[in-house]
Amino acid sequence: MDGKQVWTFTLRQGVMWHPGPQTESYELTADDVVFSLQKSANSDTSAYAAEYTGMTFEKVDDYTVRITLDTPLSPLLFLPKVANYSGGFIMSQRAVEAMGPDAIKTHPVGTGPFMFQNYTPQNAIELVAWDNYFRGAPKLAGVTLRFMPDPSSRELALQSGEMDVVDGISEARWVDKINAIDGLTADVFGVGEVTFVNFDMSREPLSDVRVRQALAYAMNREEHLALFGEPVAQSVYSVAPAELMAGGLTREEAEQAGVAYDYDPDRAQQLLAEAGVQNLTFEVVTSELDSYRKHYEALQAQLAKIGVTLTVNVVDHPTFHSLIRENVNPIVIYIAFRPNPDAYFSQFFHSDAIVVTGPKPNTNFSHYDKVDDLIEEARAETDPDRQVELWKEINTRILQDMAAMPLLYINQVYGRSKRVDYGHELKSSLALYPQITELTTITG
Amino acid sequence: MAVYALKRILLAVPTLLAVLTLIFIIVRVVPGDPATAALGDYASKEAVEALRQRMGLDKPLYVQYVDFLSGLLRGDLGRSLISSQPVIDQIRFALPHTIELAVAAILIGLVLGIPVGIITAVRRNTMVDYVGRVLSLAGLSFPAFYLGILLLYFFSVRWRLFPTLGAGNFSDPLANLHHLALPAISLGLIETAYIGRMTRSVMINVLGDDYVRTARAKGLSNRVVLLRHAFRAALIPIVSLVGIFAISLIGSSVLTEIVFSRPGLGRLMVGAIRQRDYTTVQSIMVIYACFIVFINLITDLVYGLVDPRVRYE
Repeated sequence: MDGKQVWTFTLRQGVMWHPGPQTESYELTADDVVFSLQKSANSDTSAYAAEYTGMTFEKVDDYTVRITLDTPLSPLLFLPKVANYSGGFIMSQRAVEAMGPDAIKTHPVGTGPFMFQNYTPQNAIELVAWDNYFRGAPKLAGVTLRFMPDPSSRELALQSGEMDVVDGISEARWVDKINAIDGLTADVFGVGEVTFVNFDMSREPLSDVRVRQALAYAMNREEHLALFGEPVAQSVYSVAPAELMAGGLTREEAEQAGVAYDYDPDRAQQLLAEAGVQNLTFEVVTSELDSYRKHYEALQAQLAKIGVTLTVNVVDHPTFHSLIRENVNPIVIYIAFRPNPDAYFSQFFHSDAIVVTGPKPNTNFSHYDKVDDLIEEARAETDPDRQVELWKEINTRILQDMAAMPLLYINQVYGRSKRVDYGHELKSSLALYPQITELTTITG
Repeated sequence: MAVYALKRILLAVPTLLAVLTLIFIIVRVVPGDPATAALGDYASKEAVEALRQRMGLDKPLYVQYVDFLSGLLRGDLGRSLISSQPVIDQIRFALPHTIELAVAAILIGLVLGIPVGIITAVRRNTMVDYVGRVLSLAGLSFPAFYLGILLLYFFSVRWRLFPTLGAGNFSDPLANLHHLALPAISLGLIETAYIGRMTRSVMINVLGDDYVRTARAKGLSNRVVLLRHAFRAALIPIVSLVGIFAISLIGSSVLTEIVFSRPGLGRLMVGAIRQRDYTTVQSIMVIYACFIVFINLITDLVYGLVDPRVRYE
């Protein structure tokens, strides 16, 4: 309409908010949806406000919401913004206004099958069944989430039967171990978080594409994959991978385009010689978290084989996030899930997002600025097929210029007692943990 | 004694101020800030700046410092930068669990460690002494978290005698004790090793003193010589050690709290440091500093009970 794109949502009727400490239960209406999305679009109240630039939200009637976009978006790009992800969560307007934005953090009010009952810091969150759930009263009487920071303790609690479901360790060995225990099973499910290595091309000698390509050829995907094992992890051939989303490159497509970068240390050394560099040294910081540290250690060993020295200093996770955003690392290994290729490209490869110096600094650690036009063209493209082609082209360019080397994606891993039946097939969860629904049951 | 106690407390105030100022500076100097920690993967510069403003971190440092100190004087420990909840509520929940764990561990250490120390001192260079010393060395060498996991494996998983989750409800004392047992034993055994070795060492020195020889020469029984004369003299260094252990346990119990999934001050502190939650870190340090002053004072007062030569002026 008038060059703008309009999305109209018809809300399900009879969806009831849980009663809050200061509010009664009431029906979710367009007021709540508009309130929530306006809150998400406000940079004073949301870290995701940039996602909603150029959008207006209006109530048409109690069950109809209209969202108008100044710039049209394809469904692939638009729908994650209003899904239960990042800024898309719908909140109870009455509860937020009554309790204030701080109190709601520790007493959430929702519409799901289980409602908040109690929170004890460092200990547990207790949820009880919400019998007025719109899909029917839950079979379970409640759910208790316990905070158990140590993975060994969680595993022992699962084995003793005190816990029914626990967050596991993202390793195939752990999956095998749990599956071998009578009465237990390990669930491996999405979403996958992609691990990729960014090269800061703004500094010498990484400004030479031959050096970046040399480092890429020195990396052995199989060794990185072995750190976690299949099916917990899978190798990928583009930063926005085909295994997880449209617009990614399969292995065959990457090989065809000559950007698969299969392990080839001889080619790596040849490229370094062509570039006229030798005795390269880099110093980096890594997070203490296994998921980062193991990759840096593997990279250190791989680069040593081609005569490149990588010194790795371990810091705690918040320090790592802080330092890499200050452009401390020439080589940044990053792990991220994003719902579509545009999110990956905009945040990691658009020049606006270059760390420190970009107009809107984000996570463009490579300082790459060669695909801005393509990213913007793809973002504005409303034909899904054409959009996918553009994304593939961007993925290819990133690899040709070796701004980043994609390694693998890691799935989520949870251990479960076989007495637990989720009531649905656990394939993928945006929330990164298994969804306990109204159909979930425990036998025995 | 009351005047002495009051003087000690007043003297502690400048020390407390110095410690708090140091902590205030240190947490802000370490890389990373609460906004980045809270936003994690989504920490774009724009989002970080917006959140820092909402957290009040855009104010000049001296303003933040004055706000913090004036809040302290009013008894307001502030709100967590991450959860926005009053820090006092978090401490109020965590502190009793930490105190009960520390007290239980020290009690176990005293009940087991002192007799072991006395026996190994009296039976010096015998098999009893050798076994005792090897066991205490093992206790000193075992990391607390590893001992905790071993206890969990055998007593919770294999034999199902104790729960894996180490914190119960204070309203149900028996259940609470059941949850406390394994974590207390885990820390208590290590305390036993320290107290046992210290007691042995001190007792050996004391048993060689002239007045002990005199007591024996007077024909007193071995039991009276040991407990009324030798052990009484050995108590002063033991009291000092227990005071030091009590202080260190408040913080060092964090690994046990993590392994047994217990709430506690140590775990709260570590979590706050990881998240760069300045307010919570500073406020917990206030509590720690007060504890240290209190425990040191108690230790000194106990000296007076144990050693009649000590007078408080």
